[in-house]
Amino acid sequence: MREQIPASAAVAKEPVVRLLNVTKRIGGKTIIDKLTLDIPTGEVFGFLGPNGSGKTTTIRMMVGLMGMTDGEIKIRGYNIKTEYEKAIRQVGAIVENPEMYKYLTGYQNLLHYARMIPGITKQRIDEVVALVGLKERINDKVKTYSLGMRQRLGVAQAVMHKPSLLILDEPTNGLDPAGIRELRDYLRQLARTEGITVFVSSHLLSEMELMCDRVAIIQSGKLLDVRALNGAAETGLTGTVVHFEVDRPEEAVKLLEAEGVPVTLAGALLSMNMDREAAAGVNARLVGAGFKVYGFRSVAKSLEDQFLEVTGGEGIV
Amino acid sequence: MFDFMQLVANENMKTYRRIRTWIMLGILLVLAAGTTIVFYSITDEIPNMWMVTELEATFLSSLITIFVVIVAAESVASEFSTGTIKLLLIRPWSRSKILLSKYISLMLLAVFFTAVVFVFTVLMNMIVFGYSSELELAVGSADNMAPLPYMLMFYLYNFISLVVVATLAFMISSVFRSSGLAIGLSIFLTVGGGNILVAVLGMFQADLVDYILFTHLDITGHLSAGETEYTLGFSLGVLAVYYAIFMVLAWYVFKKRDVAA
Repeated sequence: MREQIPASAAVAKEPVVRLLNVTKRIGGKTIIDKLTLDIPTGEVFGFLGPNGSGKTTTIRMMVGLMGMTDGEIKIRGYNIKTEYEKAIRQVGAIVENPEMYKYLTGYQNLLHYARMIPGITKQRIDEVVALVGLKERINDKVKTYSLGMRQRLGVAQAVMHKPSLLILDEPTNGLDPAGIRELRDYLRQLARTEGITVFVSSHLLSEMELMCDRVAIIQSGKLLDVRALNGAAETGLTGTVVHFEVDRPEEAVKLLEAEGVPVTLAGALLSMNMDREAAAGVNARLVGAGFKVYGFRSVAKSLEDQFLEVTGGEGIV
Repeated sequence: MFDFMQLVANENMKTYRRIRTWIMLGILLVLAAGTTIVFYSITDEIPNMWMVTELEATFLSSLITIFVVIVAAESVASEFSTGTIKLLLIRPWSRSKILLSKYISLMLLAVFFTAVVFVFTVLMNMIVFGYSSELELAVGSADNMAPLPYMLMFYLYNFISLVVVATLAFMISSVFRSSGLAIGLSIFLTVGGGNILVAVLGMFQADLVDYILFTHLDITGHLSAGETEYTLGFSLGVLAVYYAIFMVLAWYVFKKRDVAA
């Protein structure tokens, strides 16, 4: 689909966006504090944080709507400050609400943005209109659209030029559950089939959990953590809970504690915080000590647990 | 260059797809026709077509200025107030060029309104009152000029003032992102407020008055053979300096601004 970008494996491994020590100060107040973050190609990447944590400011700096006080942002290797036009060519975005020209029709709005990037044909406009399911209403004025339809028109203008990176700021704001589900499925499909990297911000934990491959957690302008979601297969996943089912749990706890493994007893199950390599080691140790291990499995913590753990349970909506 | 014209095409679309623009044009034409009809019905003697045309040009230029100021004021400010500025700026175009496309589109609108009013009034008065090869004016005289060139110059001089005032509104719109402020301030200063300012300043600092924008906004006096306080060159020079300041301010602020709204 994206003919202008070579699809070699080397390129695919390169992070699509690099933020390096990005800092924003407004009137002596530090809004974003030395934020360093790589966004891997082809993922749905969540940007999670409470309201006022600096998500929107970061996104505005990524698309050049706001200047940086310090640091640099590169999109596909292009510096957003010095090579703005090349960098932004790679990006499609909706920053906060998808505001359109209400007195124009949906089609005229798309034509407006199509004219700003060379090479977008009328055919391509029709294609994205069909993609977001607005065919029936595209020649109506935008003022007659529902919020969900405006959101879809917003997505259409953002993907029209086949960007490498799609940035969506709080895209589920104001959408009903069906709209959220629709958007979510659509974003995952885009990431999978077109190889578009999606960077999506939200303060809604449950949404991010369903939508994202990975989330970065931000609070008070500082990056707290980056976590992979959707399965323990991802290496480097910390904070996985492993449950063991054994024949004599109390004795097993004593044995493991004697060896310095932090373990708690949850009912009849041993509960430990570890990755799967360590879990295999514990299994061997228990079997070696003559315990019957009926089974063990990793229980991925919900994002909410992880989030509260990282942010210290501070206010989140 | 062709690609840049696409940006101008966008701005034109945003202007001409709005019913407002056509209402403005309608008002101009209705007022022009109304004036001619009034002259036709109240005068016993058939008036000179150029006299009526000049009269219409005088007040319709003010109205064109007001309409263009309204569009200029909205041009930047409304993109901010509706939030569309965000989607407009995140395209592979520098902010300077995006602002320039808006400015060019605005100037095209000014030319369009002015040209339509010119052609419409000249043709209408010629049909109603008959063609006259002699120029007769309501005030003053311009014996040395043929009627049509005179009228073209008259429109040109008004157009120069229009450009300066519209640029003032465009600048305020870009700097303060408020269309109300841009419309209010530009029209207040042009329609009388400026003269009050000049008068008040004249009481304290008479020599400064020479360099005030509003002293020089009406340059049509240079056309008829009356006494003028300043030379045309001096007035144009002062206007040019103000124009340059407005342009620099508009572009500088628009380029630097953090879009936070």
